[in-house]
Amino acid sequence: MFKRLQVKREPTKSGSSTESISIAQLIGDANLPVTIKALNSLPENPKLRLYRTLIPIQVLADFDINPRTWKNPDKLPQVKLDAEYGSDKVKITAWYGEDPQNEFFYLELADNLYNGIDLNFLIVSNPLGQRFRTDFDEQGRETLFGTVHRNCAEEEKAMRAGLAPGQIREGLRSSQIVFIHIETFLTMMAHHAFFLEPLSYVSAWIFEKRGFAYSKGHQLMDTIHREFQPGGELHKALDGSTPFRQPDQWQTVRGRAWAIHDGVLEVIDRKWDDLRMIKQVGRQAGVNTFPDAKY
Amino acid sequence: MTGRFQITRAAELESLQVFRGFITECCARYGIPNDVVLDLKLAVDEACTNIIEHGYKGMDPGSIILSFRIEPDRILVQITDFGHVFEPVEAPKPDVEAALEDRELGGLGLYLIYQTMDNIDYQSSEDGNTLTFTKFI
Repeated sequence: MFKRLQVKREPTKSGSSTESISIAQLIGDANLPVTIKALNSLPENPKLRLYRTLIPIQVLADFDINPRTWKNPDKLPQVKLDAEYGSDKVKITAWYGEDPQNEFFYLELADNLYNGIDLNFLIVSNPLGQRFRTDFDEQGRETLFGTVHRNCAEEEKAMRAGLAPGQIREGLRSSQIVFIHIETFLTMMAHHAFFLEPLSYVSAWIFEKRGFAYSKGHQLMDTIHREFQPGGELHKALDGSTPFRQPDQWQTVRGRAWAIHDGVLEVIDRKWDDLRMIKQVGRQAGVNTFPDAKY
Repeated sequence: MTGRFQITRAAELESLQVFRGFITECCARYGIPNDVVLDLKLAVDEACTNIIEHGYKGMDPGSIILSFRIEPDRILVQITDFGHVFEPVEAPKPDVEAALEDRELGGLGLYLIYQTMDNIDYQSSEDGNTLTFTKFI
């Protein structure tokens, strides 16, 4: 799971981002980045043609959704594009079944201040998998991936079912193909790199495998690995005091992630925040802060 | 004789030894003369120290990507980081003629890189800051 993926920064400018020149951006110098706002000002059909590339065909086909029409065999729409004229964001959601709230694919891209693009959210989960109510606490408040409130009872069930912090269902294990599509789209728009903020330790580990480097937080990841080794402060803090701090959790990516989600970094006076990762299009950074990791 | 290698580590002083070892290992594969190896290690050391001390100043340190490419007549070393922008041409030149007691502390890193490498290129763009230096062999 990902939050806030960003394309960075001090760009060689694409010129004005006013709506009237969006087509000029597209037909102009192919090396200059194009903004989401400019794309959103295109007529509906070219806009749809471009944004359609962001959802992998395989992901849709697995759920009988036609990748061209975005409808199921009953001709019911299963994908929604939100890319309003004048907006600097695009959101694409796909759902399985009749309830559009039951999304299994959720992607949101937005322009950032530096003429780059942020990916605010990207969630790809198995709509047929068991759902855990980790997104709402016991008072019915949204947990925002467990960052604001927590539903510990549901989190414990989710953890035992093999989910990572922040997940309400198991993932589709398709991040690799999704990232290929995003990179292709960004290359088409002449962006060279993008950033994200990993929601959890699991996310960061997955992104390392996908070729990301860190613009912030590489040292923190090294520290976490070191302190989870026997004798380290994080290792000692796996004292069984909560279901998320069991002694053997240091050995796996998910185990560490749940302990971190539970706040174990406090013992080394750190928090899981302000990490940012970068993927340079076409480049594998080769970061591996948890060698020989078991998921 | 061509080849390309890459290593990524956190921008912290402990990584310098790893970077030096990486350069040594790459050069050993191709039998690069020792004086060239020393120059490359010095340049990498100075550049990475600069990134660690200044590039990621005030930030939780991110990554440094060090890549080594060898071509028939040259070695290209590329160092990428994602910290603050650094403009080598704007860096103050050290007064190497001054008496030792009158000199500013530090500031020799870039000077040493210029002295030991045959070409230096620095670019900052949306995909990070990249310093590339070339050593003819």
